[in-house]
Amino acid sequence: MNNTDPDMKMIQALNITKSFGAHTVLDNVTLEVKKGEVIAIIGPSGSGKSTLLRCFNGLEEIDSGRIIIEGDIFSEKDEKHHKDKISARAKREIAKKLGMVFQHFNLFPHMTVLGNVAEAPVTVLGQKKSDVIKNALMILDKVGLLDKKDAYPSKISGGQKQRVAIARALGMNPDIMLFDEPTSALDPELIGEVQKVISDLAKEKMTMLIVTHEMRFAGEVADRIIFMDEGKIIEDAKPADLFNNPEHPRIKTFIDKISRRDAE
Amino acid sequence: MENYLQYVADSAAFILEGSVLTLQLYAVTIIFAIPLGIMLALMKISKYQSLRYLLTFYTWVFRGTPLLLQLFFTYYGLSIIGINLQPFTAAALTFVINYSAYLTEIYRAGIESIDKGQYEAARALNMDYFQTMRRIILPQVVRRTIPPTCNEAITLVKDTALVVVIGMGDLLRSAKELFSRDFAITPFAIAAVIYLLMTTVIVYFFRKLEDKYSIYE
Ligand SMILES: Nc1ncnc2c1ncn2[C@@H]1O[C@H](COP(=O)(O)OP(=O)(O)OP(=O)(O)O)[C@@H](O)[C@H]1O
Ligand SMILES: [Mg+2]
Repeated sequence: MNNTDPDMKMIQALNITKSFGAHTVLDNVTLEVKKGEVIAIIGPSGSGKSTLLRCFNGLEEIDSGRIIIEGDIFSEKDEKHHKDKISARAKREIAKKLGMVFQHFNLFPHMTVLGNVAEAPVTVLGQKKSDVIKNALMILDKVGLLDKKDAYPSKISGGQKQRVAIARALGMNPDIMLFDEPTSALDPELIGEVQKVISDLAKEKMTMLIVTHEMRFAGEVADRIIFMDEGKIIEDAKPADLFNNPEHPRIKTFIDKISRRDAE
Repeated sequence: MENYLQYVADSAAFILEGSVLTLQLYAVTIIFAIPLGIMLALMKISKYQSLRYLLTFYTWVFRGTPLLLQLFFTYYGLSIIGINLQPFTAAALTFVINYSAYLTEIYRAGIESIDKGQYEAARALNMDYFQTMRRIILPQVVRRTIPPTCNEAITLVKDTALVVVIGMGDLLRSAKELFSRDFAITPFAIAAVIYLLMTTVIVYFFRKLEDKYSIYE
C-alpha cells in the first residue's frame, strides 16, 4: 500500500457490534477514515463514542464485524465462537499505529514529563535511549512544554498534563491519533492550549478521531462530524452541513442543548 | 560502679553474639519474603481461578494460625514424617512462608489500588503485561505499600524471638541465660535496647525510602 496515497484508508470499521451484557453499545457501526482526515465524534452520553474509539486500539473487543487498520485486519470476530481470528501479537503490532489520549490524562505519576514521553519508545520499541530522549525533547518543544521536562505530573496544570499525554502518544510515532474528550476534564481557561496542539496536528495532516462536546472546536478542526446515538452513527457529514441542516431532528435538539449549556 | 559497667559491657557482648542469629534470620526473611509476596500478589489477581483459590487458602492458613504453631509444625511436626530440618532452616522457611502471606495481601491491595487508567495508558502505548507491571504498576505499588511493609519489618524483629522454642540461641535467649546465671535485670534491659536499636534503624531506612519515592507527589 502506498503511504502517500491521499485516499488511503487508515481505519475501516465494517458492521462492528459490541455489547456489555444485554446492552448493545455499538450497533452495526460502519465507518471509514482516510489518511489525514480529522473526524469529530459527537453525541449524547452513553451513545458509544468512547467504546468505538477503544475498539480501534484494542482496549475493547468487538463482538462481531471487522476492523481494518491501514489495510491490515486488526479485529475480526468469528460469529460462532466469538473468538478473534487475529493473534494478540499481530494485534499489538498493528495497534502501534494508533496513539490515544484520555479524558483524565492517565499520565504515569512516578515519572517526569520527559520520562512519560520516553518510556514506551524505549521499553516497547526498544529504540536507543539517546535517540528517544532527543525525539521526546523535540515533541515536548512542539507542545510547548520543554521547560517542564523534569517536572512530575502532580506539579503541572491540567492543560499541561493533557499536552504531555499528547506528547507521550506522539512519542510512539503513530499514524492515527484517538482523542477521547481531551478537554472535558479541564478548567475552561485551559481548554484552548490543548485545542491548539490538536489543531496544529491537524495542520500537519495527522489522521485523528476526536470525541468531543466542544461544538465550535469540532466545527473548526474536523473535516467530518459523526453523530452517534444509541450505538449507531446516525449522521456523518461535513461540519457546515451537520450544524446548519442536519437530517435528523435529534441532532438539532442535541446541538441546541449543548450550545445553550455552553452559553450559560 | 566500674564493676557494674564492666558487667554491662560483658553482658552486652554476650547478648550481641546471640543477635547474630537474629539478624541472619531477619535478613533471610526480608530478602525472600518481599519478592515472593509481590509475585504471589500478582498471581492472586491473575485470571487463573485455581491459582487464586490456592493462594486465598494459603494466606487464610498462614495469617489465621499462630506463627509459633507454624514453627512447631515445620520443626517438630515434619520430623515425625521423616523430614528433619536444621533449626535455622526450619525457622527461615516458616518465617518466609508466614511473612509472604501477609505481604501478599498487602501488595495485592496495593496493586488493586492503582487506577485502571494506568493500565489503559500502558496498553494504549502497546506495553505488554510484564512491561506494564515492571515499569508502571509495581513502582507505584512499592511506593504506596512502604508504610505497611515497614510495619511488617518491625513486627519481624520481635517475632524472631520465637525461635527459642525450637532450641535456637538468639538475642533473647542469651539475655535469658544471663538472667538465670546472675539473677539480675540488666541483661533484659540490654536486650530491650538492642531490639529498639534494630527497629530504629529499620524505621529510619523506610523513612528514607519514603522520602526518595515521594518526590513525585
Ligand atoms: N466496561 C463496561 N461495562 C459495562 N458497560 C459499559 C462499559 N463501558 C461502557 N459501558 C456502557 O456502554 C455505554 C456506552 O458507553 P461509552 O462510554 O462508549 O459512551 P460515550 O458515548 O462515550 O458516553 P460519554 O459521553 O458519557 O463518555 C454506556 O451505557 C456505558 O454505561
Ligand atoms: Mg465517553
